[in-house]
Amino acid sequence: MTAAGGDERPAGARMPRIAVLGNPNTGKTTLFNRLCGVRARTANFPGSTVEGRVGTHRAPSGAAELELMDLPGTYSLSIDVPESQVCRDSLRGALDGRAPDAMLVVVDATNLRRNLQFAAQALAHRLPAVVALNMWDAAKARTPSVDPAELARRLGCPVVPVSGRTGEGMPALDVALDTVTTLPFGNDALVARLQKLPAADASPAALATWADGVARAVAGPPPESAGDALVDRIDVALTHPFLGIAVFAVTMAALFSAIFMVASVPMDLIDLLFGSAAEAVRARLPEGILAELVADGIVAGIGGVLVFLPQICLLFFLLSLLEDSGYLARAAFAVDRVMRRFGLAGPSFVPLLSSHACALPGIMSTRLVRDDRERLATILVAPFMSCSARLPVYVLLIGILSVGRPAWFAGAAFVGCYALGASAGLLTALLARRTILRGPGRALVLELPPYRVPSLRNAFLTTWDRASVFVRNAGTTILAISVVMWWLSAFPRAAGGDGRTQQASSFAGQLGEAVQPAFAPLGFDSQLTVGVLTSFLAREVFVSTMGVLAGAGTDADPGDDSVLERVASMPRADGTLVFDEPTTAAALVFFVLAMQCLPTLAVTRRETGSWKWPAIQLGWMTAVAYAAALATHAAVAALNGAP
Amino acid sequence: MSAAPDEPGATVRIPLTQLQRGQRAIVHCADIADLPEGDRCLLHAMGMHHECQIRVCSPGTPCIVQIDSTRLGISADVARRILVTPIDDAGAAR
Repeated sequence: MTAAGGDERPAGARMPRIAVLGNPNTGKTTLFNRLCGVRARTANFPGSTVEGRVGTHRAPSGAAELELMDLPGTYSLSIDVPESQVCRDSLRGALDGRAPDAMLVVVDATNLRRNLQFAAQALAHRLPAVVALNMWDAAKARTPSVDPAELARRLGCPVVPVSGRTGEGMPALDVALDTVTTLPFGNDALVARLQKLPAADASPAALATWADGVARAVAGPPPESAGDALVDRIDVALTHPFLGIAVFAVTMAALFSAIFMVASVPMDLIDLLFGSAAEAVRARLPEGILAELVADGIVAGIGGVLVFLPQICLLFFLLSLLEDSGYLARAAFAVDRVMRRFGLAGPSFVPLLSSHACALPGIMSTRLVRDDRERLATILVAPFMSCSARLPVYVLLIGILSVGRPAWFAGAAFVGCYALGASAGLLTALLARRTILRGPGRALVLELPPYRVPSLRNAFLTTWDRASVFVRNAGTTILAISVVMWWLSAFPRAAGGDGRTQQASSFAGQLGEAVQPAFAPLGFDSQLTVGVLTSFLAREVFVSTMGVLAGAGTDADPGDDSVLERVASMPRADGTLVFDEPTTAAALVFFVLAMQCLPTLAVTRRETGSWKWPAIQLGWMTAVAYAAALATHAAVAALNGAP
Repeated sequence: MSAAPDEPGATVRIPLTQLQRGQRAIVHCADIADLPEGDRCLLHAMGMHHECQIRVCSPGTPCIVQIDSTRLGISADVARRILVTPIDDAGAAR
């Protein structure tokens, strides 16, 4: 054990590490947030998609800094689920080669019997420990309350009553954590503790009997589980097969409307700010490659990353409030039956719905899905949902298709695009769960936490954490990709040409020419192929690329009639229209289904810890999009009587 | 699936899904042995062990039950395999 504290720790010595463990819904994360504040970061544990958080804590008294490792909440250390495996590996130092120096076991003081079973499993490990008797504010109001001193005697380690929500008892916890990492912990202390606990290999029944005995001794006989008729009625309504789903749909619609409305303001400001910054760079630097690299590569790349932040922050802030209120668990329970038909779990619904705003926060919110296979399936299909970046492309292509058609056609086409994306996603999930992600899902046995007023502090810290993860991990990848894409479009330089000439002669343009034969069956000529390839960075780039190629300028507005007319009347080399009806319909279907978004691939890589899943996502979505576009081209051509 | 008592003193065991809202019952762990090992262990760890007492908050499939102060939502597949003995308000098996 690290036996140094305060200023006595030698220079270069490692911070003592404390593993924070507990059942789910014990307020463990709230307590961790109270201890570490913003000095924490999310980390993926090696070889697992399970997330944990690592933070530093320094007591106000000036004691030595401690490294706190918030392990995933689990109901037992001996069950075969990833959270339990991560906790076991962490305690024996198998996660990163370093075992913790001590444990902080968080116990819900209002639910002692179940929590003590977990505590007994944790305390059986050869590590000094402190038990935090959390939710003390609620427990002490009950009669009889819990006797912490008697509990400490029976567990053989310090027990500190605390409330992560109110901060009550935190100074005492600081002292206990400082002490536990500085005092020696020898065999005698361990043997004395183990003698009080059930055997390490005790059966669940033996653990339950022991926990019941200890709970009775420190808190009296269990209270008759008082029925709360009002909570029962609310639960019945919120988990009802029809009413529950309707309430969830309305809640989510309100959530995403709020995100769209509120986020659009800072997103426009970020856009404006980086647009101005790029202009300023061009004005100050001499005209040439350096100015273009900084303005169009780096500044535009950073802007392209940060523009997603408002949506990500708002989504996680509101989801955190919903989760903390106890509602989200009920909603997941209500929609589980529907999602199971497609091999997904109830909690998958939230990421899929939020992917309609943007797949990036959608994929990042799959942490709500606890089963590994169901989480991967959700990540895999999230980009099929029609995100807001597809909207300008839909406006342009549906606008071209709507010419000369009744007014309802455009609306129906929009609905069709959204329905096509969602159907393809759900069917892909079903296929994946029967092939590459085959295996039983986790049976739905879900703890429904009590209803409570959500903590704003927790919501802010969660939002800060998720935003930091996005900027640090996905942001750097996206920026690098942006610069590469700029380089492909900017080189080699076309002497004296306009934007159209530059596009055609660039590496991206040459690539378009080279791969055009593969897109020829869809009706795509080389110009349209260049548009598809350049929009691989982000779908909305398609509109500006086609604008450049049609001679309408890079800031083309897809809703502008003159732009629509110019793009719609673009000629092929043989003089026929690029956007004839079969080709336009095929391009629309292609954009609904294709993975034309590099940032999404970067986030998938980050969330799954492997390039395998982004590769599968890209390969499958491209194949589906190509096949569907091919079928659409053939069908529309046949309907139009083309040969 | 329900087991009628053959002898005097034997208790009735019915699936959890047949309980009414507000009804209390004793769980028989041995009767959920046909669940996959992982699900059974999870149920144990969540507090649903042999002879624990539950109260039904929301009946049917799926259902919500309360054990001590914890509310558990249980899917239809799992709830149908859990046999329980209803108890009256005084705590006696019926």
